[in-house]
Amino acid sequence: MWKFIIRRLLITFPQLVFLSVLVFIMAQMMPGDALTGLIDPTITAEALDLQRERLGLNNPWYIQYADWVSGLVQGDLGQSFRFKMDVTALISERVMNTILLSAVSLIFTYIIAIPLGIVSGRYNDSPLDSVITGYSYLGFATPIFIFALVMLWIFGFQLGWFPTSGSVAPGLESGTMEYYISKLYHALLPGLSIALISVVSTIQYLRSEIVDTKQKDFIVTARAKGASENRVYNKHIFRNSILPIAAFFGWEITSLISGTVFVESVFSYPGMGLLFLESIMQRDFSVVTSLVLLFGAASILGALLSDIILSIVDPRIRIK
Amino acid sequence: MEADTVEIVEQKSPSSLSILLRELIRDKLALISLIFLILIAGFVFGLSLFLDQAEIVTVDLFAINAPPSDQFILGTDYGGRDVFGQLIIGTRNSLAIGILVTLISGIFGIAYGVVSGYFGGHVDNALMRIIDFFMVLPFLLIIIVFVSMTSNYSIVSFSLIMAAFSWMGIARLIRSKALQEKELDYAQASKTLGTSNFNIIFKQVLPNITSLIIVTMTLNLASNIGLESGLSFLGFGFPEDTPSLGTLLSYARNPQTLEFRWWIWAPAAILILLLMLSVRNVGEALRRAADARQRRG
Amino acid sequence: MGKATINKVLFIMMLMLFLVLAACSSGSDDTGDSKSDEGNGESEDAGSESEKADGKIYDIADFSPLKEGEPMDGGNLNFGLVADTVFAGTLNYNFYSDAYDSEVIDWFDEALLGVDETFTYTQDGAATWEMNDEGNEFTFTIRDEVNWHDGEPVTAEDWAFAIEVIADPDYDGVRYGDVTSIVGVEEYHDGKADSIEGLEIIDEKTLKMTFKQPTPSLLSGGIWTYALPKHIFEDIPVAEMSSSDAVRVNPIGIGPFKVESITPGESVTYTKNEDYWRGEPNLDSVTLKVIAPETVTQALETGEVDMVHSFPTDQYPDVEESLTNVEFLGRIDRSYTYIGFKMGTWDKENNKVAMDLENSKVGDVELRRAMWYAVDNNAVGERFYNGLRWNATTLIPSFYEIYHDDSIETPTYDPDKANQILDEAGYEDVDGDGIRENPDGEELVLNFASMSGGDTAEPLANYYIQAWEQVGIKVEKLDGRLIEFNDFYDRVGNEGNDDPDIDIYQGAWSVGTDVDPTGLWGPNVIFNYTRWEDEENTRLLEEGVSPEAMDLEYRKEVYSEWQEYMVEQVPVFPTVYRSQLVPVNKRVVNWDIRQEDSELYRYEVGVTQDEPVTP
Repeated sequence: MWKFIIRRLLITFPQLVFLSVLVFIMAQMMPGDALTGLIDPTITAEALDLQRERLGLNNPWYIQYADWVSGLVQGDLGQSFRFKMDVTALISERVMNTILLSAVSLIFTYIIAIPLGIVSGRYNDSPLDSVITGYSYLGFATPIFIFALVMLWIFGFQLGWFPTSGSVAPGLESGTMEYYISKLYHALLPGLSIALISVVSTIQYLRSEIVDTKQKDFIVTARAKGASENRVYNKHIFRNSILPIAAFFGWEITSLISGTVFVESVFSYPGMGLLFLESIMQRDFSVVTSLVLLFGAASILGALLSDIILSIVDPRIRIK
Repeated sequence: MEADTVEIVEQKSPSSLSILLRELIRDKLALISLIFLILIAGFVFGLSLFLDQAEIVTVDLFAINAPPSDQFILGTDYGGRDVFGQLIIGTRNSLAIGILVTLISGIFGIAYGVVSGYFGGHVDNALMRIIDFFMVLPFLLIIIVFVSMTSNYSIVSFSLIMAAFSWMGIARLIRSKALQEKELDYAQASKTLGTSNFNIIFKQVLPNITSLIIVTMTLNLASNIGLESGLSFLGFGFPEDTPSLGTLLSYARNPQTLEFRWWIWAPAAILILLLMLSVRNVGEALRRAADARQRRG
Repeated sequence: MGKATINKVLFIMMLMLFLVLAACSSGSDDTGDSKSDEGNGESEDAGSESEKADGKIYDIADFSPLKEGEPMDGGNLNFGLVADTVFAGTLNYNFYSDAYDSEVIDWFDEALLGVDETFTYTQDGAATWEMNDEGNEFTFTIRDEVNWHDGEPVTAEDWAFAIEVIADPDYDGVRYGDVTSIVGVEEYHDGKADSIEGLEIIDEKTLKMTFKQPTPSLLSGGIWTYALPKHIFEDIPVAEMSSSDAVRVNPIGIGPFKVESITPGESVTYTKNEDYWRGEPNLDSVTLKVIAPETVTQALETGEVDMVHSFPTDQYPDVEESLTNVEFLGRIDRSYTYIGFKMGTWDKENNKVAMDLENSKVGDVELRRAMWYAVDNNAVGERFYNGLRWNATTLIPSFYEIYHDDSIETPTYDPDKANQILDEAGYEDVDGDGIRENPDGEELVLNFASMSGGDTAEPLANYYIQAWEQVGIKVEKLDGRLIEFNDFYDRVGNEGNDDPDIDIYQGAWSVGTDVDPTGLWGPNVIFNYTRWEDEENTRLLEEGVSPEAMDLEYRKEVYSEWQEYMVEQVPVFPTVYRSQLVPVNKRVVNWDIRQEDSELYRYEVGVTQDEPVTP
């Protein structure tokens, strides 16, 4: 087991190196740089060129990459050209928002998906099941950004129940109770928007899993032994079907990444997804590279986590 | 292009395809969806032959944000451009990209999977490591980086970029099937008879997994259409004079458009919903058909 | 099978919805609000808001730049920073480069000198000044009552320190070009001198600056007037200043409000600075937060913000009537849009324009002039911007009321005239395809570079192409599409790598406080993307900043001449001037959106009631 984890982590390392080179080169090949946006007759071209030189933007990409990597080894992701601050500091400002948003949407996803999936599976082909399945069909077909936009419009603007931008109300002191409540409040609507769409796959999976398990021999045996219907579901079927869902947890991270990019952009929620889009536009290369790397690392770790959980819950899957 | 592929497949393996078709026709919902898809595709591809893209995006200074009328069936946008025409061309572009990405990634993925599964051993090992690497890439971000890098892309190059990051799923699936297939008697028999690897793969192993391929590619089509519209929505898709469903949807980011000018974005939203539903209905029906246990009696 | 049935029903319902929608829209008789031909706008009362709005033309002259009234004591003002990104958070005039940051800084810091309507320094600011007869030595005296937010007095040393930091080789901001006019700055920057020769601290409150040469530009924005609190920054290495807490977390200034808390990139809260040198501010506090351009209307409507720094003018016609709790202030904006003709490349060796008329497709002035006549910028302004942008005439926008010469006749839409000019200049349609060939009978296709982004970018570019085609000039979009912002500037020559494929481009400039256009159209500036130069142009530009031009009348004359000359030569032609709209809630009083010659200072702004007015 430990051997497996260590080996996987070792494979992860070259993956990240390759990913960083790839992204770095691509970022360098983009037209413009972080100073292109500063075209303003009150700023002289010489002053800009001075900064290009100072930031090393005039160097060839491999020298810039070497600089960046040597910083990386010391835990320094470089400087953001635009924010004029360490990328590490910049990202840590934003990362908590994205983690909060992801946590909220994951919690909502499970709260909604598990009961619906169970009901749908237990009473399959009932009218209730049809409604739930119909919902999951619609959910599958709805692009998340359109759904988020509509949610923002209805609950943010028309009803005014939720804040429409930002991650926290202005002026609250970090660390106070109000601050945390406000943070949570700001994350609710975007989180719910992701959740209502991403529940679809979990519901469908759970449903078909339960329908399958229902007909398995051991369930039939349990029934024949006279176990009550509730007992059969709670004890045998549910436990059997829920475990794989737990294992998907890690893989959810990968899909959450794309979800947050869209939703953060629609809700102007200052997390890492929005930071990524802004940095692409502003050609803030060091931030772009660091973010892709971070997101990459998160999905690698997520996949690893899933594999580990899966091997624990399902002894049939042996980790080599 | 799609028609060609289907035709070839048909010659090689009539039985599995006809089963699929029979199942599809039996399933009313899927049938309606299929007809709808064919109609829409035929309509947009056919009509767009007669519509001039340049003319559609022609600016009419005197008809800006006009609501639907006799002259403009679905009104106009802020550039005075006909929304209906943009919808037709946009649907065509979105479909074209979706199909192109699905085909490119499908063909590459199949080849990759079959080779990996058929040869096994070290080849398989190496190829699978590469897949593992691609699987964990935050592909949405990479595509965005790619798109900002190549400032000048066409429908084909855009599709290539997208396909480069979406072939892994099908490759994995095909590999595992190919692994199973090659252990079967017929493949082993051919091998002892001295048939070349190439022939075994393309003439024997591949036809037997046709139904699986069709099902997977159909379902991929839906997600590729979704991905394209998402990228356009974020502003990393096509420019406005190459409209797609995503560009039309992105107009809804303007709250005035969202609230007062539904004719610009709502048709595109409904159309994309219907397209995704239909493709999926067809895909699910195909899957059921392919899966013998669930075949309806 | 229940599941299938429900799905079927659902699916068919949506299908029907789609069909109904298509049907509704094609049959215009059944729907009330889709009359298109008769009665444009005005007469229709209910239903389509937008149609009503779209016909309306506004005039910026109808807007007032300020709102006065009797404020109550105290209160909190919510200020919206309209941005689709966060603000960078470099909250000091000496280090910022992000335009949004300056909006944040404006609330808590200010320049030491005031300006009048010609953007010339006045004696109304935190410091007063005297100039020697030659006009190259300035002596500044900081008022005694001017203090930093931490109570320390602002000294001459603080001011000199700011300039020293900017001139430091480790400085990471973009203001170096603003201080090089001071004697000795370049030597200090290059390490050849330990101090800046042109700066002399006479006493605690008095600073003398010596400039390399006298020019009227010095008086209109040519002096660096932002101090840096030395007692806070002196221990911080220059390279680390911009990322220090003194800039990002608890910045201080001399302005009417103090920063209380910052949520990075999102919001800032301010409290009043009771010690402000002009007097105690009316408001108790100000809350600034970032609002996305897409949501600004809703935020104003609900009173979430009382006002914003700038309003997307294209949304105005839609909201003008529904936003009843808000008054719109307006003024002419400092920017203009223009079409430029590429007539050369950038000579990197010598850092100057390398004009090459021979090989430029647009080297012929008659062609350029005809292209100006061919476009209807008034229609563009009215149709795309409801009159909130309008036909531009010269390269000195009417924002500079004093210098803008509106007596100059400039080409306006006249396709016949354009055809006539082209005919006379020998641009004939030789092969009869409706497209003119050049005088040598060769095919003429011009590549047009235009930037993407903004709602109207694409239709606008298409409009120009169509308009030129009307007079037989074939213009195509470069690469067949709009160019992304960064790519555009790269290729148009922002770093001197001009793309030879570009023949025409559409750009925009936001002008500074100094009217001097040398920074945009001079022969030695990289921003002169046209790469056009000529002796007369250079002469006039130099004349405009010569010591003689210290005389306002003379300077006006020079710039009139220059404006006229540019109209004759057409290296570029301005297309539209723009307006700036700022909505303010009805409870807000004493706000003036002009920065120069403001009749109201920021400390005077107030509110008339505790809660924002809502509709």
